[in-house]
Amino acid sequence: MAIDKITLEILKNHTRAAAESMAFTLYRTAHSTFVKETEDFTTGLTTPTGETFATPTELGATWFVGLNYSGAIKLINDYKPGDICMTNDPYSGFVCTHPPDMHIWKPIFHKDELVAFSVGHIHNTDVGGAVPASLSRSLSEVHQEGVRMPPMKILEEGKLNQKMLDVFLTNVRAPEQNWGDLKAQIAACNTGERKVHEMIERFGVDTFKNGVGDLLDYAEQQARAIISELPDGEYDFSEYIDEDSVNGWPCRLRLLLIIKGDELILDFTGSDPQLESSMNMPTGGDPRHVLMMVGVVYVLYSLDPRLYLNSGITRACKCILPSGTIVNPSFPAAVGMRTLSCNRLHGLTFGAFAKAVPDRLMGAPASGGPILNVNTTDTLTGRRIMAAVNPMTGGSGGTKLADGTDGSGANSGFLKNSPVEVNEVEAGIRVHSYGLSKDSAGPGEHRGGLGTDFIFEALSPNTKVTARNRDRTRFSGWGISEGRAGGASKFIRNPNTDKEFNLRNTDILSLDPGDRIHVTCGGAGGWGNALNRDPESVLLDVKRDWVSVDGARLDYGVVISFEKNNLPIVDKVETKKLRDTIRASEAPNTSFYSPCDARIEYEKVWNKTNYDVLTKCLANLPITWRFYAKHRIFSEIENWDPSDSNRLNGAAIESTYNKMLKDFPELENKRNN
Amino acid sequence: MAYRVAVDIGGTFTDFCVFNEKNSSLNTHKVLSTPNNPGSEIVLGVSELQEKGVLNPTEVSWFSHGTTVGINTVIQRSGAELALFVTSGFEDVLEVARLKVPDPYNIFSKRANPLVPRERVFGISQRILKDGSVDSELNEETVKKAIQSAKDMGSDTIVIALLHSYANNKHERRIREIINSIEPEMAVTLSSDVWPVIREYERTVTTTVAGYVQRRVANYLTAFQNALKSAGIPAIPMIGKSNGGVMTAELGKSDPISMLLSGTATGVIGAAEIAKKVGVSSILSFDVGGTSADVAVISNGEPAYSSGEMVGDFPIYVPTVSVTSIGEGGGSIAWVDDFGVLKVGPESAGSNPGPACYGQGGKRPTITDAFAVLGLLGEGKLGYGKVELNVSAARDALLPLAEALSMNVKKTAQSIIDVSVSGMFLETTKLLSRFGADPRSFSLLPFGGAGPMIGCFLARELGLREVIVPPTPGVLSAYGGLIADIRNDFIRTVMIDLDQNGLSNLRETAKFLEEEATHWLRKEQGFDGESKLSWSADMRYRGQSYEIETAFEKNDLDALVVDGLARLFHEAHHSIYEHSDPNAEVQIVNLRLVISGEVPKPKFLTHPEYKQLAKPLISHTIYLDGQEFNASLFERDKLEPGHHFTGPAIISQNDTTTVVLPDFDVKVDQFKNLIISKRKMRNGD
Repeated sequence: MAIDKITLEILKNHTRAAAESMAFTLYRTAHSTFVKETEDFTTGLTTPTGETFATPTELGATWFVGLNYSGAIKLINDYKPGDICMTNDPYSGFVCTHPPDMHIWKPIFHKDELVAFSVGHIHNTDVGGAVPASLSRSLSEVHQEGVRMPPMKILEEGKLNQKMLDVFLTNVRAPEQNWGDLKAQIAACNTGERKVHEMIERFGVDTFKNGVGDLLDYAEQQARAIISELPDGEYDFSEYIDEDSVNGWPCRLRLLLIIKGDELILDFTGSDPQLESSMNMPTGGDPRHVLMMVGVVYVLYSLDPRLYLNSGITRACKCILPSGTIVNPSFPAAVGMRTLSCNRLHGLTFGAFAKAVPDRLMGAPASGGPILNVNTTDTLTGRRIMAAVNPMTGGSGGTKLADGTDGSGANSGFLKNSPVEVNEVEAGIRVHSYGLSKDSAGPGEHRGGLGTDFIFEALSPNTKVTARNRDRTRFSGWGISEGRAGGASKFIRNPNTDKEFNLRNTDILSLDPGDRIHVTCGGAGGWGNALNRDPESVLLDVKRDWVSVDGARLDYGVVISFEKNNLPIVDKVETKKLRDTIRASEAPNTSFYSPCDARIEYEKVWNKTNYDVLTKCLANLPITWRFYAKHRIFSEIENWDPSDSNRLNGAAIESTYNKMLKDFPELENKRNN
Repeated sequence: MAYRVAVDIGGTFTDFCVFNEKNSSLNTHKVLSTPNNPGSEIVLGVSELQEKGVLNPTEVSWFSHGTTVGINTVIQRSGAELALFVTSGFEDVLEVARLKVPDPYNIFSKRANPLVPRERVFGISQRILKDGSVDSELNEETVKKAIQSAKDMGSDTIVIALLHSYANNKHERRIREIINSIEPEMAVTLSSDVWPVIREYERTVTTTVAGYVQRRVANYLTAFQNALKSAGIPAIPMIGKSNGGVMTAELGKSDPISMLLSGTATGVIGAAEIAKKVGVSSILSFDVGGTSADVAVISNGEPAYSSGEMVGDFPIYVPTVSVTSIGEGGGSIAWVDDFGVLKVGPESAGSNPGPACYGQGGKRPTITDAFAVLGLLGEGKLGYGKVELNVSAARDALLPLAEALSMNVKKTAQSIIDVSVSGMFLETTKLLSRFGADPRSFSLLPFGGAGPMIGCFLARELGLREVIVPPTPGVLSAYGGLIADIRNDFIRTVMIDLDQNGLSNLRETAKFLEEEATHWLRKEQGFDGESKLSWSADMRYRGQSYEIETAFEKNDLDALVVDGLARLFHEAHHSIYEHSDPNAEVQIVNLRLVISGEVPKPKFLTHPEYKQLAKPLISHTIYLDGQEFNASLFERDKLEPGHHFTGPAIISQNDTTTVVLPDFDVKVDQFKNLIISKRKMRNGD
């Protein structure tokens, strides 16, 4: 280290104070309610090459700890004091990850020397494009997702580039909000600049420059120390998104995690080809891209919360991101809804690490609940209402030590809900219930966390509901170490009536007055064999109305009976009998992961052999053909004779693939070899 | 009547402040707290003060006290056996809370277990809508069943928090009637009494905490009243409130929620009073005890208020003097992490065993030990002569750290101070940037046992130019209780649009609040002095999910001036967020009224300032920033208004030690405050 460790700790507190001050400035002065409700923004300080050395933890999104600005910084060649640059183009430098995120960066000079950048982003409520809020799963090209500003100086030596601003604001739906938020970002960057100057005054420029390097080294060393304690090895895991496009086929994300000494390699080969929907994750193939690092940062920090959060952590990691796949899409693949795939990616990462340290990690975090928005008319006043209702979250997975958290936690712990009373006053809906979703937890010796459960009623005609990030109605969260899968998420119109309709993964719909919606988040996965769960704990969950009496019997082998006063108790004799019977009849579960039944069924056909063949075939094709080819192959395999063993050993896929090549002579040279 | 007395009962010590109105003298005193026998520390302290000849119990006209009994009940989880009745369909309200977990970066982070376990939450069949209308009537059978089950489970207190009860509390009140008739022993707490404000989780959790502490607080207050009686004190017993005011102890028995954070609040009130006297507009109060440092912002003599302050693991939403707690205090322990980096806290040696230099068995190195090793605590006795400073024990405690860091002990001590100050710098900077304030415009007012010791260091790190050390920094919380007004907050959710129609409704609510407030002050408190009403409204632009409390004059309401109220809101919005939108629609969510009955303040003698260089007791060697200095050592008792001297200096007094850094100068003002200013300033900095 270039500076002494006492000064390092002091400088660390000063850099954090700077980053937190930037965040407060931004939060305080931002215009849009969205920023204040969701805290979907970041601020920070980077080295002249773009490595983030200071990140706020009090406010802001949890995802962007390891963000590296170098890709965008390099696209501007001449920095002067007073410049501020911005971009929201996911394909220019791969700093921005979907168009609503406006990133800005300001060079900070000491005398003539560039010593740091102050940086940050805000998720804009709207940046134009095909749909309000600029996000829809159905979009297929980034051009539809809003106006994109390539990296440019919005301020040149302190002077506003009005023409550039006009172009931006002309193309968005609520320009005064974007401009207000941009001003807040500029104010935050200026705060960062001032704080850097104060630090240079306090510590001297050399100590500052060296110290910043040391802070990155410090985080790197801490990360490496945590990694060293993990057993070396290769840990292979896959996760699925229910649909790769509206009503599409499942989409697979695959991770081979290699732990070697104090380093990590994350190989995403075998993840699906880039999608003709907007759930692609634009990384540019950067081996340390921040989107790929989120799960890793969560895991390392959770294993040791003393870890100092900055991009030094990512130096211990390397990702392999094949181009033309969902983890490294080629322009102009749409990326707006990458949040959905990122959520799945976090779970995938947790799962791979869990295999390495089963006693220190958890089953699948709850997932699949939407961010709910309502757009309607107040009957009394005639006023249009647009309201964020609730993020439907769920808890963390069960662990060796404890049940998962209920309702929220793991990678969704940063979200906040809206009070029921406020929803009724503001959102023009009637709420019938809001709480935890019964029987949604993945059973286990330590069960997974419960999802949240929400039933509401529309009060006016044409009530539009958007439910972004809907997923997991088919493939729910897996358990580990014999713990079982969590419940699937639900999205049902008019439940328990003759008009009942399962909306599955629909993410936009229109309601009539009186229509009820029941929506839940899928539950988290369990840890350990549910037959070993203390019957008293099961009883307590029954008393709490979180596990039904049937659930206790079927999932845990616990028989509940009722006393005279109607209080439930455990029937110890019957419970022992039932558990013995189940143990005797069930084959021991020897696999580490316990996926849900739907996934087990699906993977009977789409087993490792088949998927390896598929991956190899698709990799041969031009990127633009892959999604089409996947759908064509899936559809033919679906209809293949189930009794033919070729359906399961890769041969059917080969033959389907070759047939397709014949149909399109221009693909002839893409034959598998 | 000649004496005004205020007492602050902490976990370890009980502080007394006695003001003699005859000669305007202020006396302080400390005794050990007796948590197992509440009230007896008061009896003891009073008799000791009497022996000292500074107090005659029969002549006490004012007796107020602050207590941590309520907050300790929550932290130790030793409160009531609760059951909770909620609207059916919303039984998980405390479990789901507002979803967010304490540390969102940690995938294991979880919210604390609620004070009411879920199996004791009962859904009641009834429904009130947002406008207060009854959608479905109360099903009394479900109520009776729930009461029986709650009783069977061993509950002694039932908390009732139904949806939209801020708009119509009929069902909550009816349930209470039913409980009273069936189970008269059962205590009952209603959300519409405790916090009749929209947002069900906030209202429910606040009411739950209120129900949880009620019995213990009531028992405690009875003991307090009896203690005063047995000490022969005729004054009406008063207790401190989280809003910085006081109320009668009798009322505290039914309104315990408003006194939970009185300990920190009265300290800030004491600091604000000093700031007013000195005439400094922006103050950071800095209260450092053994385990934590509490920082608050005071502008123009008024502390900032907030709601949602934490009591143990739970936020409560009653108006509270806003205080930020930092997990570092005089007893915080220094340690070295696996990478050789020095850290301080959050573990603390507390007051038992305390820092090693107190010689009470503490072996681990604390911040206070670092000060002792550098000579910054002077020599001899500390804490009312109760502790003999043992520098060599401090040195021994630091030795292992010094080895781990490959430094000598003095450098290690300096490093401990620097690292801990940088941690306080971080938290204080965050607090100030939340307000958008520039630290350099603030003066620091340190108090508590360790505040004056560290104050100058923090001021230097923040770039502050002035540090003000009050005459009795160790007992400023008690002092705050001496000068606090009788004060209460009244609030109603109104949820109206700011237009003529809305304003008429608002005026109705205002009338109601004013009657309620006046009744509280005149009837319940029996107060007949000068009173003041302060009006405000929680306002927002339509579509926002957060409100700004905007102060206004009652005239604006009476005159039904829509534009006037709107303008006040635009201005308030602008001053916080640096922008406003005069064309946007404005909503009023809550109407608030604060009533305060002004208590006659003690008149302190001011002293003529004759400029005179103070004579130090001795010159004493200290080490700072790697250098050796000769520091002047003063006794606080001997310093008189007008005295001045230059740093480095150490001022010792009964309840604390003040450290003045080399580039600071000190003068004693007419109230005997130490005004410590950065020297550079005078040279035209």
